[in-house]
This record gives sequence, structure tokens and C-alpha cells, in this order.
Amino acid sequence: MKLSKVLVVAIVLLIGVAAFGATIKVALVAPFTGLGSILGDYIKMGAQLALEEINAAGGINGDMLEMIVYDDAANPSTASSVIRRALFQDNVVAVFGPNMSSAVIGVHPLAQQAKVPMLVGATSPSFRYSVIPNDFLFRLRADDKVKVIQLVKYAVEVLGIEKPGIVYGSTDYCLAGLDVAKEEFPKYGIEIVAMEQIKEGDKDATGQLLKLKNAGFDGLIGLTHESEAAVTVNQLRQLQIDVPIIGFSAWGVPAFTDLAPEAAIGVYSVQGFNPVDPDPAVQAFVEAYKARWDGKEPSDPAQAYYDGMYLLADALRNVGTDGTKLAQYLANEANIVGVQGELKCDEHHNFTNVCLISQFDGKDWQIINKLY
Amino acid sequence: MLQDILQIIVSGASIGATYGLVGLGVVFLWLTISRINFANISSAMLGAYLFYSFYTQLNLGFFISFVLSIAVIALYGLGLRAFIYEPIRKRGGGRLEFVVATLMLCTFWLNLIIVTYGALPKPFPPVFGGSQDFISLGGIRIPTLYLNIYLVIGILMVFIYFLLNKTLIGKSFRAAAQNREAAALMGIDVKVTTSLSFILATCVVGIAGILLAPIYFVSLELGGGSIGVKGFASAVLGGLTNPYGTILGGISLGLLENFSTLYISSTYRDIISFSVLVAVLILKPSGIFNWKSKKI
Repeated sequence: MKLSKVLVVAIVLLIGVAAFGATIKVALVAPFTGLGSILGDYIKMGAQLALEEINAAGGINGDMLEMIVYDDAANPSTASSVIRRALFQDNVVAVFGPNMSSAVIGVHPLAQQAKVPMLVGATSPSFRYSVIPNDFLFRLRADDKVKVIQLVKYAVEVLGIEKPGIVYGSTDYCLAGLDVAKEEFPKYGIEIVAMEQIKEGDKDATGQLLKLKNAGFDGLIGLTHESEAAVTVNQLRQLQIDVPIIGFSAWGVPAFTDLAPEAAIGVYSVQGFNPVDPDPAVQAFVEAYKARWDGKEPSDPAQAYYDGMYLLADALRNVGTDGTKLAQYLANEANIVGVQGELKCDEHHNFTNVCLISQFDGKDWQIINKLY
Repeated sequence: MLQDILQIIVSGASIGATYGLVGLGVVFLWLTISRINFANISSAMLGAYLFYSFYTQLNLGFFISFVLSIAVIALYGLGLRAFIYEPIRKRGGGRLEFVVATLMLCTFWLNLIIVTYGALPKPFPPVFGGSQDFISLGGIRIPTLYLNIYLVIGILMVFIYFLLNKTLIGKSFRAAAQNREAAALMGIDVKVTTSLSFILATCVVGIAGILLAPIYFVSLELGGGSIGVKGFASAVLGGLTNPYGTILGGISLGLLENFSTLYISSTYRDIISFSVLVAVLILKPSGIFNWKSKKI
């Protein structure tokens, strides 16, 4: 752990044998150790799959793409040092990642300084272009604000929740979601009857749930991380409180349902990606991913980085390797269709707003609605 | 309203009792060698992960997995003595050196677990009852899980009582705890009692880890963070010298937490409970139950 912070080990992946033509270097910064390590593999596999497909199809006008993978250990300071190295020593033309919002907020000025585009899958609304106007920073999946807006809309319009009770965690991810929920519900003339905090690491939500119950809530809005989601639904079932449950993106992943397989049945969640999505583009991606990675199934955010690599390839073909031109092209002209549907940079510098409302059936997440 | 209060008492007391169990590990070492082991909580994490490996990955069945896990933890306790405590003592290191060494050990175990098992929490097999099984008692619902926690802690406390009061080694242990030098002069083998205290200290926390795993999942949270601190707090509430007081201290802390959530605010819960703990420490350093002497 400590060593990796000092001696960052870079794994250089030489992909494809380029008999002629130069190589174009891109960096990928993701967590392979530390607390977010599960995501690192998805990110790398998604990006590498796209890169291999692009190279196999002739690369960028004959030049091959090469990806240098760095581990940021899910730590903003480590992310900063590896990104410096990628930008100022490896001289990459673009950086994918980091995938942690706090790391992005810490390192995005480096991309501006080096004039190199940074494409991230981190989802916090706190670095939207309207908040942090960095011309070199782009987002590859729907951000959390979009997701919570859709969650509230579904909770009110379809589930008919009139007295929402919220449980929320204490990280930026949860609090940003809470702010959006507080803004959105009143738009439907609905008052949130209770908001209770379940801190990361808490294992008893009895008190919080009883308070929600006493406030007369008729629907639970979950804005916590995976473990706390499991604690909440388990205890809600134990207390036999029967209300619809709809949760944030952390409530729509195996890390939650594995911990509460029975209790999670019937829970709704807003997701960014779902491998059982019947959309042909998604199915083609899932098939290719499984074929390349020994049958492993992709999970969010693999698709975001896969799409990101294609976006970059499109930009490179059109304007070459100059960072400023690349950023301008990505912001104003790039428009391709990827796994997540049409990818086009909006005023927030987000390429997509796609999200899914799904319900857990004990095994898979059944898609109910897909919103662009 | 009364139902809510009873419900809160049931869940608060059972989580609290496990805090108390973690606190026991602190107390046993403090009694015998006057050291605070900051890697105390690591035993809980190791216990849970070992049980998970034996039970889920190797399918050894509940009983064998449980016994094996505790046996490994007991060996770990002896190792702690042989490789950490004794070398420091022999080279003239004191309490502070032991504290720093065990603090580092705690981080070492956390990172070893991250490397070997990954950082994602794993579901714990429902050996103490499923997540949704409960017994209804006049409108309050007691999860089977909590009943089993009470049961195991009850058995464990009876076992510890008999061990300390009815067996020769237990009596030696208590004698050495009250006055090490005098006990040694009376022919009690202090080495044996010291080893026993290391084994007890790691094993009770290991058992606590296995009991807590269904609630905490098999996760890194068992090996660091708030639960270790709450174990220390329980030990302090019990005055650091009394095993039974420690369990009661833990239960008090669990109840305090839950009542602050229900009647004050979930956001301020930890602020409230830890303010109370600091106040207790300042006002009543001998613990809330007033056991002053080292009588165990």
C-alpha cells in the first residue's frame, strides 16, 4: 500500500504489434488497491476492450493506441502524483479517470495546466462545468444530480409516494444526492416528512426507521452507500414496515444485493448501466466484454470508459493529438453512438444522461424504464 | 411509543453487548500485564474472516469452522505475546512502545485483509438465523440473530465466570491480576497466566467478531474504525477492571446510541454518545459501576 504511493508501478500495456506508424499514448488512472479496488478492474477491462477493437480496426489512421495504466489506490493524493507522471513524463494525449469524485476535484487543474483532456466516470454534481468551468474535464456517464432527479420523478409519478422519508449517509455522494432530493420534491408540491442519517459503518438503523415510521412516511428514499443500504432494508423488513423502497445508484449494484439478497427483493434503484439491458448496443458490448475477459460480466462504470475510448478515438481521427484541439472537438463536435446511446457533450460537460429505473427480483435487476 | 422503546432496547442492548465483548479483550490484558492493545479489534476481523473461509469457502460446517477459527485466534494471541509483547519488554520498552507497536499491527492486519480478501464486504452465512427471521413478543420483534447473540454472550460469560472462579488456573489468573509480584512469590507461574490472558483477550474478541459479522458483514469495518473505539469505551465504562462491568458498559453504550437516535437526532448520535463517554471518564474514572478494586 505505502510502497505503491511512493513507487507507483506503471503497467505498460503494449497492445497489438504496430509494424509501422507511431503509437499514441493515453493514460488510465483507476483504483486497483484500496477501498475502491473492485472498480479498477471494470474500468481497465472496459477501456482496454475498446482500445483493442480500435487498434484491430486499423487504429487512428494507422497509428496504434497504447494505454498506460496507473493505480490511484482510491486516494486523491496518489491520484495526483500518478496523473502528474502521466501528463508531464509520459506525455499522454488524454487521461481516463480518476473515477473518484474527490480525486477529480483535486486533480482536474493538472489537466488544464497540461492542456490535456481528462475523461472521468466520477459522478458527483460538484464538478459540473457550470460549477467548475474546466475546458479539459469531461464526464462519461450520467451524474448524480440527473439520477436523483429521475429517482424523485419516478417515486412521485409512478410509485405514488406522497410522504417520502429519506435515509442518507454522510459522504459527499450522499449529501449531494440529498440536496437534489430536497430541491426536487417540493417541485411536485410534496414535503419530505423525515430525513434520517445512517453514517457509513453504522449497523443499526432501528432508531432511524422508527422515526420515519412515526413521521408517517409512505415510501423510503435511500441515499446511502451499499453496506448501509443492506442494513436499512434488512431492518425495514424485520420491523415489517411495508413501503416502497427506491434507492440511489449504490442501491442498484451486487455489492448491496449480495449482502441482503432476500430483503432487497422489490427494491427499486436508479442505475447507470445494467448488463441485462436488451438494447442491442448494450448486448453487443456485454458479449464482447465476456468473450475478451473469460466470461466475466461487465458492471458500471466499464461501459463509460469503453464509450470514452471511442469518443477519444473519434476526436483523434478528426483533429490529431493536440490537447486543446481535442478538448474543443470533444466539447463542440463529438457526436457518436456508444453503449450508452448518443454521446454528445452538454452544457455540464456530460456526454450522457442515460439512466435506468430497475427493480430487483432476487436475482437480476429488471429494467422498468430507460431515460435519456 | 412503549413498543418503540422496547424495540430500541432490544436492538441497542444486543449490539451493545458485542461492544462489551470487544471491551473484554482490552480488560483481560489490562488486568494482567497493564497494557492496552490497540490491535484488540483486529482479532474480531480475523475471527470473522477465518470463519468465512472455513465455513463458506471450505464448507467445513458450523461447529468445526467455529472451533478452528477460535483455535487459530488463540494461537495468534500466543504469537502476539511471543513476537510483540515479550521482545519489547526484554529490550526495556514500556507501555508506550507496546501501544505504538499494536497500533501499527492494527493497520497491518487491515491491509493484509484488503490484499487477501479484497475490500468489498462479503455476506456472512446466516448461521445465527437469517437476516429476516425474528420472534414476535407482544408486538416487539426480536431478530433471531440478536437472540443468538444474547445466548452466546450468556454462555461465554458463564464460562468465563467458571474459568476464573472455579478452576486452579483461573484462580492463579486472578491472583496474578491482583498482585503480580506477590503471586509470583507464592509460586504461581506468572508466565502461564500471562499466556492465558493473551488467549482470552484475543478469543473473546474473535468470538465477538463472528457474532458481529452477520450485522457488520465480513468487512474491514470489523477491524478498525468505530467498533474498536466503542470496545474501548465499554471497557472504560466498566472501569477497566471488571469483565461483567465491561459487558454492562457496552450495553449502556448501545442503549445510549439508540435512544439518542430516537429522541434527539441520528446525525448527532455519535457526538452525543462520545460526549457522554468523555464526561464519564472525567467524572468517574473508575467506571459507572464503581468497581474500584481489581477484584475479578
